[in-house]
Amino acid sequence: MQLQYGQIVQYIPDLLAGAVIALEIAVIAFVLGALMGLFGAAVLTYGNKPSRILVRMYVSFFTNTPQLVQIFFLFFALPEFGILLSPYQAVLLGMTINASAYLTEIQRAGFQSIQKAEVEAAETLGFSRVQLVWHVIAPHIVRALYPALSNHYILMTLGTSMAAIFGVEEVTGRALNANAISFRSFEIFSITALIYIGLTIIASILLYAVGRWLFRVKVKAF
Amino acid sequence: MGALEQLLEEAPRFFTYWNIIFLADAAKNTLMVSFFGCLIGYIVGFVIATFRVIRVNPIPPLRALFILYTETVRRIPFLVLLLCVFFAFQLSGAETSLFVIATTAVALRMSALAAENIRAGYESINPLQWEAALAMNMTPLSTLVRVILPQAWRVILPPSTIHTVSMIKETSLISQIGFLELTFAARMLNQRGFSALICFGTILVLYFVISWSFARVGRYAEKRLVHEARKPNTQTEAQTVLKQQGGVL
Repeated sequence: MQLQYGQIVQYIPDLLAGAVIALEIAVIAFVLGALMGLFGAAVLTYGNKPSRILVRMYVSFFTNTPQLVQIFFLFFALPEFGILLSPYQAVLLGMTINASAYLTEIQRAGFQSIQKAEVEAAETLGFSRVQLVWHVIAPHIVRALYPALSNHYILMTLGTSMAAIFGVEEVTGRALNANAISFRSFEIFSITALIYIGLTIIASILLYAVGRWLFRVKVKAF
Repeated sequence: MGALEQLLEEAPRFFTYWNIIFLADAAKNTLMVSFFGCLIGYIVGFVIATFRVIRVNPIPPLRALFILYTETVRRIPFLVLLLCVFFAFQLSGAETSLFVIATTAVALRMSALAAENIRAGYESINPLQWEAALAMNMTPLSTLVRVILPQAWRVILPPSTIHTVSMIKETSLISQIGFLELTFAARMLNQRGFSALICFGTILVLYFVISWSFARVGRYAEKRLVHEARKPNTQTEAQTVLKQQGGVL
């Protein structure tokens, strides 16, 4: 057994270029999922009973089934009804739906972390509605949610590797291609693993810095 | 609705005795890989987390090694980890079954997640307790077993059920190396001519039943064991959720 990393150096720039697509998928799915999750969390907190049950079922279904199978379903079952999705669209849609379920759950916890007494105290002090949201509720929610949200973003970055199975050429997809040409399998996938480690470490550091300076949250970077 | 008609039309052909046996076998494989992978992963993770404790392992470079392991392994996507393990076995030249490869990959990922989780449990205990126990001439290991763990497991248990459930779901990626588990079974049935709707729909339901019931059992155990064993619990449900969600990476 001998490892020959020399033979695969030529593929590394290509793999790194795939990281851009991985990041793109992760960021778009995260932002859309967070918006849907915000809506879901608002319904869970302030909605009436039937709508709460509906959202609860949605969350429970999508958090208890594998993301891969959800995307398989979108990719293979929807065409039977005349909805054709490209691999990229299917992955993006699947990840968004999956993320929205998790982010609903996380953001609901954020809504609940607001203490009623605090809001009442602010009202007593004569805060206007806008001031109340801006100075009391928003900082509270952001500080409570930031660690969980940034953690989920990193999990989603790892999740983008699933896109390779559908033929999207992000990092893992390009690794599979490079593997098919060179057959230096272990070398290629270990480099791929290193790229993901690098990607998530950079994301962790950035999220830590943003949290620290923007919201004064202390997040565990590592 | 076309979907429902199609399902009803196809269901008698799909849910035959042999297909159900086939799916049950696949479900068994999913559960077996998850169970053994998580079991080994937790044992390894426990050892790693323990060797990260300064009182147990006072040698900094050795501690750094264990930190490096958890920090890198849990940042590798499961699919890539699985392929690495798959090709590493191939490189070694040993004849290995897909079950062993899959279990190794699950165990590797789980060990890193578990190590982090167990470490958080250890860190929730006031360090003064270590000092007190050591001052009473207890060895580090017996301090760990008799003083730290009986308190720390309450912090360790809730996220572990979440990790285990998410690991069961991630085993769907094992279909990529050709191991016959639920997702692979669905793809095979799909290729035999059944519609994707019924194949993937069925396993979505199966996955849901497995992980939902597991999460239920976990939540029940947590309620019984953690909250009752504790003095007045001041943590709200919301804080628990945030802590659990924030404790993965």
